[in-house]
Amino acid sequence: MYEFSELGWLKHVIFHPVEGYDDLRWKKKGSMKIALVIVLLLFVAMVVNRQLTGFQFNTAYVKIFNIVPLFVQSIVYFFTWVIANWALCTLFNGEGTIKRICIYSAYALVPYIAGTYLSVFISNFIVRDEAVWMNVIYYVGLGWSVVLMIQAIRIVHQYTFPQTLLSIAFTLVAMLVILFLLVLLISLFQQVYVFIASIYTELTYRFRG
Amino acid sequence: MVSRMKKIIKNFISFGLALSLTATLAITSYASEPYVSYNYDAWGDVIESQSGYRVDETITGYEMELTKLADPKSDLFVSEDEPVNLSGASDIFFEENTNEFWIADSGNDRILRTDKNLKLIGCYKGVTDSKTSVDPETGLSTFSNPTGVFVSIDEETSKPIIYIADNKNARVVRAEVESKNSAKCTLEYVKPESELYENASQTFNPSKVLIDSTGILYVVVSSVTTGAVVFDTTGEFTGFYGANRVEITAAVIRQAIWRKFASNDQIASMTRNVPVEYANFDIDSEGFIYTVTEAANASTDAVKKLNPAGNNIWNTATGNEFKFGDLPEYADCDTSNYSSRLTDIVIANDGIINILDYETGRVFQYTQDNDLLFIFGTKNNTSDQKGTFTAPNGIEAVGEKIYVIDGKKNDITTFVETTFGKYVHEAAALYEKGLYEDAIEPWNEVIKRDGGYALAYYGLGKAYLNTGDYDKAMEYFKISVSKGSYDRAYQYDRDDFLRQHFTAIIVILFVLIVAILVIRRLIRKGKIKLPKISKKTAKEGK
Repeated sequence: MYEFSELGWLKHVIFHPVEGYDDLRWKKKGSMKIALVIVLLLFVAMVVNRQLTGFQFNTAYVKIFNIVPLFVQSIVYFFTWVIANWALCTLFNGEGTIKRICIYSAYALVPYIAGTYLSVFISNFIVRDEAVWMNVIYYVGLGWSVVLMIQAIRIVHQYTFPQTLLSIAFTLVAMLVILFLLVLLISLFQQVYVFIASIYTELTYRFRG
Repeated sequence: MVSRMKKIIKNFISFGLALSLTATLAITSYASEPYVSYNYDAWGDVIESQSGYRVDETITGYEMELTKLADPKSDLFVSEDEPVNLSGASDIFFEENTNEFWIADSGNDRILRTDKNLKLIGCYKGVTDSKTSVDPETGLSTFSNPTGVFVSIDEETSKPIIYIADNKNARVVRAEVESKNSAKCTLEYVKPESELYENASQTFNPSKVLIDSTGILYVVVSSVTTGAVVFDTTGEFTGFYGANRVEITAAVIRQAIWRKFASNDQIASMTRNVPVEYANFDIDSEGFIYTVTEAANASTDAVKKLNPAGNNIWNTATGNEFKFGDLPEYADCDTSNYSSRLTDIVIANDGIINILDYETGRVFQYTQDNDLLFIFGTKNNTSDQKGTFTAPNGIEAVGEKIYVIDGKKNDITTFVETTFGKYVHEAAALYEKGLYEDAIEPWNEVIKRDGGYALAYYGLGKAYLNTGDYDKAMEYFKISVSKGSYDRAYQYDRDDFLRQHFTAIIVILFVLIVAILVIRRLIRKGKIKLPKISKKTAKEGK
C-alpha cells in the first residue's frame, strides 16, 4: 500500500477517482487543515470568478460588490452540506464521522476550484469566439468534482451506488431545511435585537430627558 | 414705547425682506425644466443626464392667431362663432417643401394650416366636389373628427395635396388645396367592399394616414388588427400591410395548449388571439415605415421598422433586443403603476427616431441603432406648467425643434435642442454615416458637459477602434460597458501583439522547452534533487 504526505494523499485521491477514497479510508488519512484551506480557496474562487473574469465575459453587476452572498454560496453551503449529510446518514447506517465527511467532501472540491481559477485566468486572454476553451475547463472541473463527491459520500458511509445517490438527494433537501431554519432563526434574533435596542433607546431618552 | 415701535417696524422690514428673498429663490428654482432628464446605463439603471432639449414655448390658439377665423376683417374669416382655440387636436404634420404645418384640429372638425412659426395661414372645414356629409348651407363636404393629416406636394402644379383621415365620416379624403380655405376633393377612399376587408373589420374609421413616394396610401384603422389598410393610387383596396404579431403571454400559451385537446365546439367558443393594432406610423426619407403600438406595455412589436414588403427589418437577432420606452422598473417617478403607451413616432431627417409616450408624456429619442439619446417631457394633470402634457397626441420634428401637440390642454409645446443636444446629434449623425473619427471632437464636447453619457464613450471607442488605437478603444468600451465591441478591440489588440512579438514568443517557447528537457534529464541522472513535497520517501511498510 501507499504511503504519502498529506498533500500527496490529496493528489492521490484526486487522480484516482475509483480507489483513491478507499485507500484514504483504509489508511485513516486526510487532514482537516487541508480541508479547511480548500474551503477557503473555494470562497476565494467565488470572489475571483466575480471580480477578475475578463471584461468581455464578466456579467456581474460591478457597481456593488457584496461579499455576503459569495460567502454564503461557498462556506455556508459547504458546512451545511457536511452537517446535513452527517445528520442524515448517521440515521441510515452511514459509517462516516462528521470530520471524515468534511475532509472527504472538501477534497472532492479541488478540481472544481482549480477549474474555476484556470478558466478565470484564461478568460483574460481569449476573445468571445474562443469562449469554448474557458467553458470546457470550467465544466470538466465541475464534472470531475461531482464524480469525486459521489465517490467521497459512497466511501465515507460505505454505501452502494444507488444508496449514495439517494443520500445525496436527501442531503440537498436537508440543506434546504437547515437553511430555512437558519434564516428563521436569524430573523427571530433580529427581532429580539430590535426589541432590546428599542428598550435601550427608550431608557436613554428617559435618563437624558 | 418708541423703542417698541422701532422693534415692530424692524421686525416687519426683516420679515418682508425674508419673504421677498424666498420668493425670488422660489422663482429661480423653477427656471429649469419641470422634469429630470435621464438615460439608461448598460444595466438598465437610471442615470441622470444633461437635458438634450429645453422647453421653448407653449403655443395656444391665441398665439396661433386663430382669432382671425372669427374676425370679419380678416381674410381667413370663417364665421363669428368659429372656435378660436384648438380642441382635441390629434395630429401635427410638417410639410418640408413649403415649410408649413398642418394640424388636425379634430374637436373642431377642421384642418389648420400654419407657417413655420405656427401662425395661421389657412383653415379647411371641408372639401368641395364630394357628396359625403354635405352641409346644405355652404355646399361643403365637411369633416367630422379628422384625426390624421398627411400632405404631399403635387409635382406638376406644386400645390399641396392633403390626405385627411376623416374618422367619423368613414373615409380618407384626398384633396387638392386651392386657396386659404378651400380644397377640392380629388378622391375618396372608403370602406373596401371586399371579403378580405370584411373579415378583418366591419367598420372603416381611419385614424391616421400616410403616403409613400409612389402614391400608395396606408391607413391605420383602429378596428383592424391585421396591419395598415393599403389603397393604390386609384383608390382601390389592395390589402393589408405589416401586421403586428401576437404577444406571447401566459394566457396565449395556455390557450395554445388547450387547443390541442379541445373539441371543435370548444375551440369555436374560445376567444381568438389577435395582435394589437398599431396606433400610428411615420415614413422616413428612404421609404421605410415605422409603426408604434399604443397598447399598454406592449413588448412585442412595440416599435417596428417595416420594409416595403411589410417585414420588420429590426426583427433580426439584434433587433429583437431593441427596447423602446421606459424600462418597467424605473418608469415611474410619479405614478405607482408602470405603463407605457407609445402613441406617436416621428423620424427626423437625420434618421433620429422620436417616440411619444402618452402615459408618461415623455419623448424618447433614439438613433437608428436603438441607442437612447434623450428622454424629455413629462405628464402633469394638475398645473399648466410649461413642458408638461395632459394628453400628448402627436409629435413632429423639424430641424432642431420638436413639437408636441396636446389634445386636452389644447396647445403645442415646442422643445429646442440645447448645446449639449446639438453636440450629441452632430456626433450621432457622423457616427451613423460611419465617420467615426470626425465624431471624436463632438463626442469629447459631449463628455465635457456630461461625463456620464455612455454613448459618447462608445462612439469614442468606435473611433479609436477604427484608427487602430486599440488600447484607447478598449478603455472607452470599458467605460461604456460595451462588451461586444470591447471583445473585438481586444481581439485586434491581441493579434497585433502576437504579430509584433512573434519572434520573441517563439524564442522564449523554444528556450523553455529546451530548459525543461535538460532539467528532466538532469533529474533522471540524479544530478539535481527536487525537494519532495508530494511523496514521502517511498514505500516503507510492506
